[in-house]
Amino acid sequence: MINYPKKPSPSLLVLIGIPGGIFFSVFSFLQIGFNFQDFKNNLSNRYLVTDPLFNPKWAWAWENSSDALVETIQIAILASIIGCAVALPLSFYASRATNLNKYSYFVYKSFLNLVRTIPDLFWAMIFTVAVGIGPFAGVLALLMFSLAIMGKLLSETIDSIDPGPMEAAKATGASHNQSVFTSALPQVLPNFTAYFLYIFELCIRASVILGLVGAGGVGRIIETQRIFLRFDRISPIIVLILVVVILIEQFSVWLRRKIL
Amino acid sequence: MNIPKQPLNQRIFKYSLTSLIVVSAIWSASGLEITLDRILNAPAQIGTLVGAMFPLDLSSEAFERIIPKVFESLFIAWAGTVIGAIFSFPISFLAANNITIGSVNRVIKQILNGIRAFPELILAFVFLPITGLGPLTGTLAVGIHSIGTLGKLSSEVIEGIDEGPLESIKASGGSKINELTFGVIPQVMPTITSYWLYRFEINLRASAVLGVVGAGGVGQELINQLRFRDFPRAGTVLICTIVLVLTADTISAAIRNRIIKGKTVKS
Repeated sequence: MINYPKKPSPSLLVLIGIPGGIFFSVFSFLQIGFNFQDFKNNLSNRYLVTDPLFNPKWAWAWENSSDALVETIQIAILASIIGCAVALPLSFYASRATNLNKYSYFVYKSFLNLVRTIPDLFWAMIFTVAVGIGPFAGVLALLMFSLAIMGKLLSETIDSIDPGPMEAAKATGASHNQSVFTSALPQVLPNFTAYFLYIFELCIRASVILGLVGAGGVGRIIETQRIFLRFDRISPIIVLILVVVILIEQFSVWLRRKIL
Repeated sequence: MNIPKQPLNQRIFKYSLTSLIVVSAIWSASGLEITLDRILNAPAQIGTLVGAMFPLDLSSEAFERIIPKVFESLFIAWAGTVIGAIFSFPISFLAANNITIGSVNRVIKQILNGIRAFPELILAFVFLPITGLGPLTGTLAVGIHSIGTLGKLSSEVIEGIDEGPLESIKASGGSKINELTFGVIPQVMPTITSYWLYRFEINLRASAVLGVVGAGGVGQELINQLRFRDFPRAGTVLICTIVLVLTADTISAAIRNRIIKGKTVKS
């Protein structure tokens, strides 16, 4: 007879978490009001959407959206460059490895967390009210968006750098700032560039929808056509956006491989 | 002292990249007609808006309107994540190249890429005429987008498993199904569960903005208050959203940490 080791009893997390998760899921679906019968009935209305969606008006889209598409790309470029440039010094302050002051570390870290909790479109809404409708609001919104992501990614990278070079610099008599500048910064620069390209891709994707709240870009055209349910004009725009996004992603993948 | 120089081609690459960034920034700024004047005015304008939000509208009437919307966002995000998790789980096995043959997983991967390419908001307003104004539209949009992203992440986890346990199951006479249930799933489950939670955090932010097109959630409330220039109430909406997202993030991050790193033993 083989003596099997006893299976460990499931942890408290599993005991509470799984039934709790299932209960919460059922509760959520009930709250949302998922009714299969209604859904099936409504599905018969789908021709309202699918017919125009699959009969794209290419000529119209090309004529009217190419300028806005360029604007979208410009918003993404400007916002990701400025956002990442601002995030570079901030994330050194928001990392325990390079900021020795406990309190200012906490302040910077909380600031970055706070910026990160507000979704990109909320920023866009706030800035359209503050600085007026147009691409400038979009740039500011995406700037906050890329600042938040870069701040999080980069400060966590700085947390995990090799402390050796910084120590070596200090041993030769460098001040703390000098050691950060000469030893910590070069260690994270390749990561910074890779993150920058990643954030640029995210910004291109995010900038497409900014126009829905009036923050410029190709979303502006989507929004006006959406209100009139002109899906035949929206679908070619979406395809155009997809092509641009894929091209830019390929370029950035190529560049990232070259850098790393 | 003789300091070695950086190789020439590296320097050329570095300078050309820098100039590319600078040139594209200038091109963008001039194309968007962003003048120095506007940049200098912006902080004051933002300050005015933030100032207008305070003191926040803390009346019970405001909370009665806002709190249900905030929770609606939470339910949309959770239900969307559940849809994404349920459907992406089997699909991710089909998309993994060590489980299925090459042509199948390549096709499934391309489908997942296609799904992922559409932002939630675009999915939401395409569904809107079919499913109506309300949280159901948002849930479907969030759920379908999650299928794409979770499917990709999960299939990558499955591709990275240790093949050893599978071999030993095969050696002891296990079938292909046994390999999956006893070899693959126990290995990938912790990582995939933590991805589900991570996706929930992202979906929470996504579901908050879905209200902009009328697909339920707190975004509707914010855009309405901003349009009616009721800034104190808009501020309350923002604060409520921040509190919700921060709380959900903290809880979810703690659970993810526990799942991945295991129980912390007090020493």
